[in-house]
Amino acid sequence: MFQPLKSWQWLLIATAIVVMALVPLVTRNSYLLHVFILTMIFGIFASAWNLVTGFAGLKTFGHHAFFGIGAYASALISINAGLSPWLTVWIAALVATVFGLFIGLPILRINSMPHVAIVTLGFAEIVRIVISNLQSITRGELGLWGIPAFEGFNLPWIGEVNFTPADKLPYYYLILVLLIASVAVIALIMRSRTGLAMIAMRDAEEAAESLGVNLTRQKLLVFGVSAFLVGVAGAFYAHYISILTPTAAVGIDLMILVIAMALVGGLSTLSGPLVGALILTGAVELMRDLDDYRLLVYGAMVILIVMFLPKGLVTLAPMLTRRFASHSSS
Amino acid sequence: MTFAIFLEQVINGIIIGSMYALIGSGIALIYGTMRVLNLAHGEFYMLGGYFIFFLAVTYGVPSWLAIPVAVFATFILGVLIQRLTIHYLLEKEGWLFSTIAVTLGLSIFLQNAALLMFGEQFQSVPYYIDGMVEIGSIRLPLQRLLIFVVAVITIAAMTFILKKTRLGWAIRATSQDRDAAAVVGIPAHRIYLITFGIAGALGAIAAAMLAPIYAINPWSGLPILLKGFVVVILGGLGSFPGAIVGGLFLGVVEAIGVQLTSSEWRDVIAFALMIAVIWWRPWGLFGKKPS
Amino acid sequence: MPDTAMLQVRDLNVLYGDYQVLWDVSMEVGQGEVVAVLGPNGSGKSTVLKAIMGLAPVKSGAVMFEGKDLTKVPTHEMVGLGISMVLERRRLFSQMTVRENVLLGAYHRSVNKETKSRLEWVENMFPILAERRDQVAGRMSGGEQQMVAIARSLMSKPRLLLMDEPYLGLAPRIVKQIADMIKRVNQEGITVIFNEQNVQLSFGLSDRGYLLEGGRVVLSGTGDEMIHSDVIRRVYLGA
Repeated sequence: MFQPLKSWQWLLIATAIVVMALVPLVTRNSYLLHVFILTMIFGIFASAWNLVTGFAGLKTFGHHAFFGIGAYASALISINAGLSPWLTVWIAALVATVFGLFIGLPILRINSMPHVAIVTLGFAEIVRIVISNLQSITRGELGLWGIPAFEGFNLPWIGEVNFTPADKLPYYYLILVLLIASVAVIALIMRSRTGLAMIAMRDAEEAAESLGVNLTRQKLLVFGVSAFLVGVAGAFYAHYISILTPTAAVGIDLMILVIAMALVGGLSTLSGPLVGALILTGAVELMRDLDDYRLLVYGAMVILIVMFLPKGLVTLAPMLTRRFASHSSS
Repeated sequence: MTFAIFLEQVINGIIIGSMYALIGSGIALIYGTMRVLNLAHGEFYMLGGYFIFFLAVTYGVPSWLAIPVAVFATFILGVLIQRLTIHYLLEKEGWLFSTIAVTLGLSIFLQNAALLMFGEQFQSVPYYIDGMVEIGSIRLPLQRLLIFVVAVITIAAMTFILKKTRLGWAIRATSQDRDAAAVVGIPAHRIYLITFGIAGALGAIAAAMLAPIYAINPWSGLPILLKGFVVVILGGLGSFPGAIVGGLFLGVVEAIGVQLTSSEWRDVIAFALMIAVIWWRPWGLFGKKPS
Repeated sequence: MPDTAMLQVRDLNVLYGDYQVLWDVSMEVGQGEVVAVLGPNGSGKSTVLKAIMGLAPVKSGAVMFEGKDLTKVPTHEMVGLGISMVLERRRLFSQMTVRENVLLGAYHRSVNKETKSRLEWVENMFPILAERRDQVAGRMSGGEQQMVAIARSLMSKPRLLLMDEPYLGLAPRIVKQIADMIKRVNQEGITVIFNEQNVQLSFGLSDRGYLLEGGRVVLSGTGDEMIHSDVIRRVYLGA
């Protein structure tokens, strides 16, 4: 899976980046940009979840905790300490990392998938309830508002860049940069020696074998990185949406959505979570009129994908091209 | 806090705990026999509750009939879910995760199907029995006493089934060694179906007893599922007796914890207890360390 | 070679995922025989027994038992045909009592009605079962567990008994007891197929054997023929 990238793969990546960068030239429709921004937030979230679940083999169901921690930490610090969101995003991500390491340690000790699933779910519930209960600080379900936006700045040739609700463009490019950086970090980790060893371990563990290789420290590191990235996504979300509620920022629906994205796109692949994020966020918006059916469709989608296409949609592409190639050659 | 109030809270804790025990033992049975973590277990509770509500309230069926019918309907639902999803995944590569993922999908699907069909309002069932008992200075509604009595009967019946019947032996044998069970002629797939059904039925019994106290809505299953998870972690995942003890224990700890803090911290106490147990005794509070 | 084979394995291929464990394995077992399946670790000798019982993924080939192809019969129906198995490392229901384990041997509907008489017969053969009836199986010694496992397999009135590494992990004194037990089982008219790594040990018991190497049958014959064969020396000593 992780041979050096072939030139056509580089081309594909470059094309994807260029296309994403050029979208605003085609449309400035702020609704459409909003959809893309959400897609990219979820793209980071799903990719980071896939890093621990798909690659490191730790099946966690509680990553929405880190999204919420990132969002609330950045919002609260910027509101109460008056620090710039440009700074608090990183502080918040570090806070999420600390919590990630805190919960990562016990789950790495237990080599049992169901235990890991239960503990991470429970941990995220604790985070949600605590945020919800600490009303004097977070305002609970009433919602935390008045979250400052990113400060504007001047760019040579382009001029003044302002982050306002009216103009989605700066947000679009900021999250695009964050997404590219996140995916690059994930790719680097997975293509490193540690990453390869981890994939080998994961596959062996599923066959209930022990190779006698101890990767606990590296796995913890990966868990921390994943929490960090999800924290960044959450923090960006806070300053972009500018209002937070525990249900929206730490609700289990969020985790379900992300799991659905990774599964639909393809677990254990780099592009899968991104493709899944694009499809499902797009689907959400397309189904806006059918909002009541949204989660029903997600649930059905997860069931169908697991039953009939366990490796996700991205694995369809090579299959189809192969079939197509064999047809045209014969 | 007077001693009487304290004692009353502990008794309430045991009563709620007996329901946690039913939920947890369903999760434990499924995990014990087929190593599947059922994230849709809360939906057995939720749908069981709706079945009771429609039978007893909408159609006015007397509760002594409505409850068994609803429990049986949930049994069938459990069997169907197993047969249509888990059954196909168990034989395939990566089943450990795919079964968890598919039950997650089922959970969302069933919740939202319930939302579309039944609406989001809370539905409650009237008390099955009115009145209070007074034991010394402790006052206890008969409804709560009934909950406990039903739990004891259910647990006794389950214990009898597991220990004394051919089906129970087959369930225990399959959970201890699937291949050896097949060799002596026990069809694992049929046992899995029945186990899923029984787990569903246990969830529906809990729903029937709690519906008069906690109303039912499409999201009622999630908090119940999470409580069930705490219970099975306390009792050792997959252990039926462990789940019973774990449920009672959790009920009491919550009751005392709520007295010391306040009711909004109830769930945090439960989950924190669970994480502590995972840290110190991952095989459960009452089980023996596996060798 | 027996005239009429009770069991015929024909060109059996077994694959775990992409990994092929058995290659075109064929063997025949006659009524009343004790046949040993021999081979070093990883030669696939365990897989042969598992494949007969439907516990290994058979890719191609057939296992004919009295005219019926076993590859199409699910494991839990084997006892109904008169086939039983003692799994590797005993595999008792470890949290259940000795009595419960033994009784489960007669779970299948074909023998369930005769449970009582079967129990008497088995306990008569192995008196220790009655003495230890309430002991939890997992707490017994290896040899005792093996006895319970054999007793459990006999409850279903088998005509063919498969024994996967019956001597594994047992002390030499116990091995002799188990060997005596297998002889008695055979004297009751039950055909036995077992596998074992140690050739000398096997031919104290069996009439004939098949030697596997790398998932292929490389030698078959009677005990004498095989013990003096160069193939044995090559397979075991690498000479």
